[in-house]
Amino acid sequence: MGFVKRRTIVALASVVVLALVAAACGGSSTSGASSSSGGAPIKGGTIREELQEFGWTSGFDPTGEYLGTAWSLYDQMIMRGLMTYNHRGGDEGGNIPVPDIATGPPTVSADELTYEFELKTGVMFGPPVYREVTSADILYSFARINTASLSALYGNYYCGTITGMTCDKDKVDTNIEGIETPDATHITFHLDQPTGDFLYRLAMPATKAIPEEVAKCFTKAGDYGPYLISSSAYMFMGSEDLDITSCDTMEPISGYDVQKGMTLVRNPNYDPATDSTEIREANIDGLQQAINTNYDDIFQRLLDGQIDVAAGTPPKGVLLKFETDPQYANWLHADPGDRTWYITMNLFAAPFDDVHVRRAVNLAFNKEGVRKAYGGEKRGDIATSVEPPTVLPQSVDINPYPANTGEGNNDAAMEEMKQSRYDLNKDGICNDGGACDNILFLGRNIDPWPEMDQVAMASLGTILPGLTLREVDTTTGYTTLQQMKKLVPISSVPGWGKDYASPFGFDYYIFHSDGIYSCTGSSNYSLVGLGKDLADSCGIGAEYDAYVQNNGDVPSIDAKMAECVAKPADEVNPCFAELDTYLMETAVPWVPWVWANNWTSVNPTVSTYVFDQFGNTISYINSAVNNGLAPENVA
Amino acid sequence: MLRYIIRRLIWLVFVLVVITAITYSIFFLLPGGGTDTIAQRFAGRAPRPELVQEVKIQMGLDKPIYMQFFSFTKNLFFGDQYGWPGFGKSFTLRLPMKPILLERTLVTLQLALGAAVMWLCIGIPIGVLSALRPRSLFDRFAMIFALVGISIPVFVLGAIGLYALVYKTHLLPGTGYYSIFEYGFQPWFSHFLLPWFVLSLLYAAFYARLSRANLLEVMGEDYMRTARSKGLTERRVIVHHGLRASMTPLVTVFGLDLAGLMAGAIITERIFNIPGIGDLAIKSIGSQDVYAILDVTLVAAFIITFANLVVDIVYAFLDPRVRYE
Amino acid sequence: MPEPLLEVKDLRVSFPTEDGVVKAVDGLSFSIQAGETLGVVGESGSGKSVSFLTVMGLINRKSAIVEGQVLFQGQDLLTLPSEELQEVRGRKIAMIFQDPMTSLHPFYRVGDQIAEAILAHEKISKKEAADRSVEMLRRVNIPRPDERARQYPHEFSGGMRQRAMIAMALSLNPDLLIADEPTTALDVTVQAQILDLVDRLQTEFNTAVALITHDLGVVAEHCDHIQVMYAGRIVEEGTGDDIYYNPMMPYTWGLMRSIPRLGAETARLTPIMGSPPSLIHLPSGCAFSPRCPYAFDLCHEEAPALLPVDGHHAAACHLSMEDRNRIVAEEVLTQS
Repeated sequence: MGFVKRRTIVALASVVVLALVAAACGGSSTSGASSSSGGAPIKGGTIREELQEFGWTSGFDPTGEYLGTAWSLYDQMIMRGLMTYNHRGGDEGGNIPVPDIATGPPTVSADELTYEFELKTGVMFGPPVYREVTSADILYSFARINTASLSALYGNYYCGTITGMTCDKDKVDTNIEGIETPDATHITFHLDQPTGDFLYRLAMPATKAIPEEVAKCFTKAGDYGPYLISSSAYMFMGSEDLDITSCDTMEPISGYDVQKGMTLVRNPNYDPATDSTEIREANIDGLQQAINTNYDDIFQRLLDGQIDVAAGTPPKGVLLKFETDPQYANWLHADPGDRTWYITMNLFAAPFDDVHVRRAVNLAFNKEGVRKAYGGEKRGDIATSVEPPTVLPQSVDINPYPANTGEGNNDAAMEEMKQSRYDLNKDGICNDGGACDNILFLGRNIDPWPEMDQVAMASLGTILPGLTLREVDTTTGYTTLQQMKKLVPISSVPGWGKDYASPFGFDYYIFHSDGIYSCTGSSNYSLVGLGKDLADSCGIGAEYDAYVQNNGDVPSIDAKMAECVAKPADEVNPCFAELDTYLMETAVPWVPWVWANNWTSVNPTVSTYVFDQFGNTISYINSAVNNGLAPENVA
Repeated sequence: MLRYIIRRLIWLVFVLVVITAITYSIFFLLPGGGTDTIAQRFAGRAPRPELVQEVKIQMGLDKPIYMQFFSFTKNLFFGDQYGWPGFGKSFTLRLPMKPILLERTLVTLQLALGAAVMWLCIGIPIGVLSALRPRSLFDRFAMIFALVGISIPVFVLGAIGLYALVYKTHLLPGTGYYSIFEYGFQPWFSHFLLPWFVLSLLYAAFYARLSRANLLEVMGEDYMRTARSKGLTERRVIVHHGLRASMTPLVTVFGLDLAGLMAGAIITERIFNIPGIGDLAIKSIGSQDVYAILDVTLVAAFIITFANLVVDIVYAFLDPRVRYE
Repeated sequence: MPEPLLEVKDLRVSFPTEDGVVKAVDGLSFSIQAGETLGVVGESGSGKSVSFLTVMGLINRKSAIVEGQVLFQGQDLLTLPSEELQEVRGRKIAMIFQDPMTSLHPFYRVGDQIAEAILAHEKISKKEAADRSVEMLRRVNIPRPDERARQYPHEFSGGMRQRAMIAMALSLNPDLLIADEPTTALDVTVQAQILDLVDRLQTEFNTAVALITHDLGVVAEHCDHIQVMYAGRIVEEGTGDDIYYNPMMPYTWGLMRSIPRLGAETARLTPIMGSPPSLIHLPSGCAFSPRCPYAFDLCHEEAPALLPVDGHHAAACHLSMEDRNRIVAEEVLTQS
């Protein structure tokens, strides 16, 4: 799927680092990726966090789990694999993969189809598996990815890329044609085609070391989670009590209960000499994440000092305190979230099947107003293009609608609308009498969307007076957007964040035609690049034909993307910049309005705050806390 | 009486089957539902068809709906690989439902029983004393209390309670459930005190009004006059003759109230972070976890139907005019 | 004459209500001798029930104004403290009520309810009290009394319930039994049985009986002395012969005329014209005057006193004796 020339892996990394530094200096209104009270970070203590629910997609089983907060925990604290991240902010290289169990970068063949890794020795699994991690454990993870019943939700990064991986095996089989383990400290991957971001893919949690003697008992998706064995600095509290003599004797580890919470303590077998404090300082003695169904109570307890960290938007009263009371000045951290909030428009739903209408929307939209309703500048920079600069640095320069300086420009929008075929009398207002009436605008009904949707509707109300707002809960919103036959014309429901920080990984799912999976399943809601056959079989053949008749071919980035990934490393990002420019100017599926920040509230007990750019959460592994609590003593 | 009980138990089984059928219909036959939509929820944010299909197989959604219904019902009554009754597996939690239901039911039971004791101890004495002194100052204050108690929504009372007693004054330790076995009596009790009170206030008010009304009505009955004419002390007349007659209808109400509470003190559990059945209901519905929703609904239905039966039987013992054949 | 068992002197009972003061009993004086049967006749609202409820102390003193004296065996019951009154109630004076179904507690066994009455006044064991209740049930002719004692009121027939009430009332051998409309809720055939039972028991237990009813036919055979009440007062009193063969008051005449007789020539009953007076706004003068066909001016101004006709017969009416005799002879007695 991805094409990058071989010798430029290092060049790619350095280019990205430079670009990220440029982007970070370029204008983020965040409070910085790390803050500290000065001096060396305090050792010891337990970070206490509360959340309403874990929300795992796959029961915390690393093979399938597709949630960013889980990835933070795996990558920072519990699991080690060939590659990892340095668990720091983007400006400190937090989005660039670095070797973990691998001794160093791989040896890549000239044709870029073979990657050879050497593994460190002395990397130990935690209790009750008291042994060294070997290449067999990495291979075992891939064998699990390859098994259908384990539902590797991002298995598509490996299947179709690594030779012999098809993700549909009916049982876990470590005989994979494309992966060789000549001995315990060497592993070789054979790829079907050159894949420039392969190292990013080897940093994903599904590929990290899993011991077969434990995981063989859990061959259904989600079952392994409560028995997760550590290969890193921390483990579930109580791991030593797991009885692994047979599958029947195993009971879920006491330190993790999906309904109550998770307590991580130090893995006694972890050897810091096999690691680097650049990547893992491991200051804290433990981490406790507890479930609290009362969201207001979580933040009250944070204010009270009963917990140290709370993620998410603080309740109104607490937010006001954070913003106005000098005593709480540094409690709320806003860090780049590698995420874009956007308005999606459906290319086949009138009147958005006319590019002038879509451009007019981009000109009229009041991004500043919506951001203000969402929470203000702290929420992130105004977006002018689809990808955040933390993923594609060139994004800051892509702004095809400069007339919209942020608050919307109705005059410019009306000029654009006049060129559309839905403005019959050329007055700048959509009024063809049919498609311009009762246009469904699908929004969310949870705070603060109602307020945001009102601003959005108001800013578009001049050029599109027929917009009708309907607000639903988030899950229903996403489900409805994926129903192709429903042809939801325009929506404020979705946001999109990276899996890993390469522009391919961001754009692929949302704009490539592969992102339209079925008539009811899709991540490409705008239907960019939709094919005729699929359109017909899903019941929108007529709309498809109408589009082609009126506009010519359906916009698609499939070919351009293939071209970009085949470029030399230093030309990849500029190529993607062209691709994104095409998207914003010519295809115009979106109005991106903010490159969103992540909000984490911390009590000053967190004496050193570091942000993990990869997982987009606080970096537990590199932060420090001064409460001196032992993890077993936290209630 | 035995034949009656058996008939009612058979009816109970029938009710459970019907409820399962209705829940299945809601999920699978109404628009917005269907096996595809449900399975897709568990396939991550890039739901490729092969992932969705695997989810369907693991959830048993790949079979025709009537077959799923039969197999679920069969498992329910005869057990499945996780034990008896066969409650299946939660797809959000990836755990067998039976231990979860058991544990959460016990937690809600603690919440409900504690609140029940509280509301009986508050409500009935207030109601009885009001009835014995109608239109007195006590009576008027009691009925104002009743009005307030019935009117305040639980979430308002909960928020006020937390604010006043926890955040501001730290008189009570806060939210959460602390098992008496793990943490001892004091933490268990001090964490339940506010939830019990918040939950019981509504019922205490209701029971105060009810017992007042019942006792007032009974006081005017002929047999009270007869009892006095026999020369019994006023105390005996009120307690032995009056209360017995006026409290008996409350038994029915109490049984059903307790059952209803067991089936979901949802708001209270959410506010006070108590992991009971109500909380599970909300979570399951929010995540569209089909089996969890089915199981919670069935547990609730069972509790309520069974409580109906128990209450009817108890009432037959209390009121000799009621007899079942 | 020996001292009367019960002597009521100028009893007045009124109930203040929102609409005014209801004068339920408006100057009532009578006495009952030991072992005597007194019949008290009147319509609803005549004060016949209220007066005896007051005697028993069952009127709520907080909602009623009670004046006068109720002397029982020399003690004024109206001024007696409640503990002592409880001693008298049930033991010395017992009362049975109109509807035995609602007058018995539905949740307790009949035998237990009788035993309760006994145990309230005598310090005996529960077993003894239970035995005595069974014995009482036998004495009121209830078959298989030991089984019946363990049953609940709803398992008894109407007549049997009333028998059980009587058994309960007599279980402590009271000196006075007040029977408030004991047969009104029962069949005619059962009525006769109950009344005969009361007669027999009265003799056996040597109890005085106050038989309250609206039915003249009931009092005729069973009472030594009869008093007719109207609007809270006695308007005529005398023996059965006096009332039946020589009624001396228009209200009594009206009552006599309205008794249905077998073989009467007219198919229609002759009611008393008009309706009972409002007890809040009593008519001035004679309370019966608005309905009396023989009323004249004086009747509307002054209430007639209860004046003796002869030794044991008295009536309250302004009509002269000659007029009354004439009317009786011509109009009343010819009706039969």
